[in-house]
Amino acid sequence: MNATTNQSITVEEFNVISDVFSQAITGELIGMSNFASLTDTIDDPYEKMEAVEHANSERMHAEGFAAYAKKQKLNVKINLNGEYWGNVRKQFLSYAQQKDFIACLIIQEVMLESFAISMYTDVGNALGGEASELFLSIADEEKEHLEHSTDILRKELQKDPVAFIKKFEEIHFNCMTILAQFSATTDLRGHCGVCNGDCMKGSLHHIALDIVTMRGNAMALYADALDNIGIPGEKSTVWLAQLPA
Amino acid sequence: MVSSTSSIDFAVIGHQDNWEGIERFVNGLRTPEQGKLSVEKIKSIFPFIPPRVLFNVQVKSITGSQINGIYIDTFFDPDKLDIQYSKANSSKVIQAASCAEKEGARITTLGGFTSIVLEGNFNYFARKATKFTTGNTLTAAYIVKGVETAAGQSHINLANSKLLIVGATGDIGMACVTYFKNKVKQLLLCARSLNRLENLAKFLLEENVNIKFSVSVDELLQDADVIICVASTTGLNFRDCKKDALICDAGYPKNLDKRIHDNPEVQLFHGGMGQVSMGFCFNPDYSNSIYCYPVPGIAHGCILEAMVLAFENKIESYSTGRGNITTDKIEEIYACGLKHGITLAPFHNAYGLWPD
Ligand SMILES: NC(=O)c1ccc[n+]([C@@H]2O[C@H](COP(=O)([O-])OP(=O)(O)OC[C@H]3O[C@@H](n4cnc5c(N)ncnc54)[C@H](OP(=O)(O)O)[C@@H]3O)[C@@H](O)[C@H]2O)c1
Ligand SMILES: [Fe+2]
Repeated sequence: MNATTNQSITVEEFNVISDVFSQAITGELIGMSNFASLTDTIDDPYEKMEAVEHANSERMHAEGFAAYAKKQKLNVKINLNGEYWGNVRKQFLSYAQQKDFIACLIIQEVMLESFAISMYTDVGNALGGEASELFLSIADEEKEHLEHSTDILRKELQKDPVAFIKKFEEIHFNCMTILAQFSATTDLRGHCGVCNGDCMKGSLHHIALDIVTMRGNAMALYADALDNIGIPGEKSTVWLAQLPA
Repeated sequence: MVSSTSSIDFAVIGHQDNWEGIERFVNGLRTPEQGKLSVEKIKSIFPFIPPRVLFNVQVKSITGSQINGIYIDTFFDPDKLDIQYSKANSSKVIQAASCAEKEGARITTLGGFTSIVLEGNFNYFARKATKFTTGNTLTAAYIVKGVETAAGQSHINLANSKLLIVGATGDIGMACVTYFKNKVKQLLLCARSLNRLENLAKFLLEENVNIKFSVSVDELLQDADVIICVASTTGLNFRDCKKDALICDAGYPKNLDKRIHDNPEVQLFHGGMGQVSMGFCFNPDYSNSIYCYPVPGIAHGCILEAMVLAFENKIESYSTGRGNITTDKIEEIYACGLKHGITLAPFHNAYGLWPD
């Protein structure tokens, strides 16, 4: 499919592509806000500067998506307070307020980035032309964030495995539950507040995608991230099986 | 990696072969508040999970020694075990193999279909720190010893019997051919590829073995007194076999019972199965959901081979893919198992244990 010129696409494709961009821009702005809040949790000046840099990189991603959407005159809606995005942000802020840098890293750079990388890759592969390049190149940059956090979290786990895994488990259920409800075949907590009209999940087939595969791939990448950090498979299997679907 | 055991003597790479078991497993992990998931929902989650360790296993020998192992599931989709899904499945096997290596397993067995998707290509595993085996030698041992024992119990004289081997050109099938070639009245050989069957036949005819072969199982079924089924397929039907035939269903999944149920004189057992007399200890213990045998301690021969090798400290790629299983090796691994109380499983099928 080629989404570079909107003359060549159907109304259904236009609508679903608009919603995809709405979700991507909203997600990037949530990421930007999270990294900005993260700076407050960090004492080390260099790490602080790095967090600002990450916030800026998410801002640039949002701008990149927004510029493309504007050029294509897509019907984009941004809403940082919707049911799912808003609650993920609330979770993040509750840890940021406690200055819990590690928890913030887990939410933003492991959970949200796993979903972003995987879903951008699927969308990038499904769309053609400029849109495809945009999604795939941003997915690549998000990968660096995931790798950066994996190194830090692996060291953190080694310091006190029992406490670390307990903490990770709590964050998993607080945050991944929301992402699991968001990406389930039917919205388990109501409308997302971002899509125009009905949720785009039911219309993804217009761009050769489906939510089951996208969610499955995202969960798989998250599971790989848990493995790389060093969470035992015995644990992660249970965590994944216990999420809503 | 955090693990409840300090060293990993062996790893088993396996997969589930039916959705009922997977449903029990997944829903068994969920709390009442989380609620149960429908099979449809589970189908949209389970096959996406990357291979990972599900539980630890401790096994005791009758000599008093004890070994620690891990079970790694590949999370194959049980509806996609056929050859057409080999590419996706083999990448999962390779991921599972890396997982075994990362966990530091000394010896790892490729259980069930996981060895078949590699199509005998063992090169990938040659230079790995952990040693890999298909487990097929001990599987073959339990098939042939099982057939001999069951025939004895049923007063069938093998020397006067015609033995049909379905999947005769496969790794385990060829091991059975080699073992029985001078022990039965006639070997009836079946597989789909005529070319491979002809090559096998030529070799056996040179040794004056009495054989008949066909790509059609129906052409051989009427003659067979005893049948070993080791074909890697789910679609066979033996309804037209002799009414008092003895059948060893050693394929995967074992689903022949259901198809001959209307023929009560046919004796069918699930072959290639062994039993650890001292039992297993699982942690976490999922035996309620994924252990499906009528008595404790039962496992596939391929799984038990890793345990036997670990007990014997024989850290080598014992079974390495098509055509390498000799009768001497069958006897050797079988005897090694016995030293540790790992024996032929009691005869059973989908309806339970055979009556005495
Ligand atoms: N009980 C246990 O512990 C245990 C352990 C390991 C494996 N197994 C099972 O044993 C079976 C054989 O394993 P393997 O490693 O020997 O596999 P393999 O080397 O791939 O051999 C499979 C054999 O089955 C034949 N075959 C496949 N589909 C057939 C069909 N529709 N009709 C007739 N023949 C057919 C193949 O020949 P063509 O392709 O020419 O037909 C080949 O001869 C598998 O089902 C495996 O899962 C059981
Ligand atoms: Fe939506």
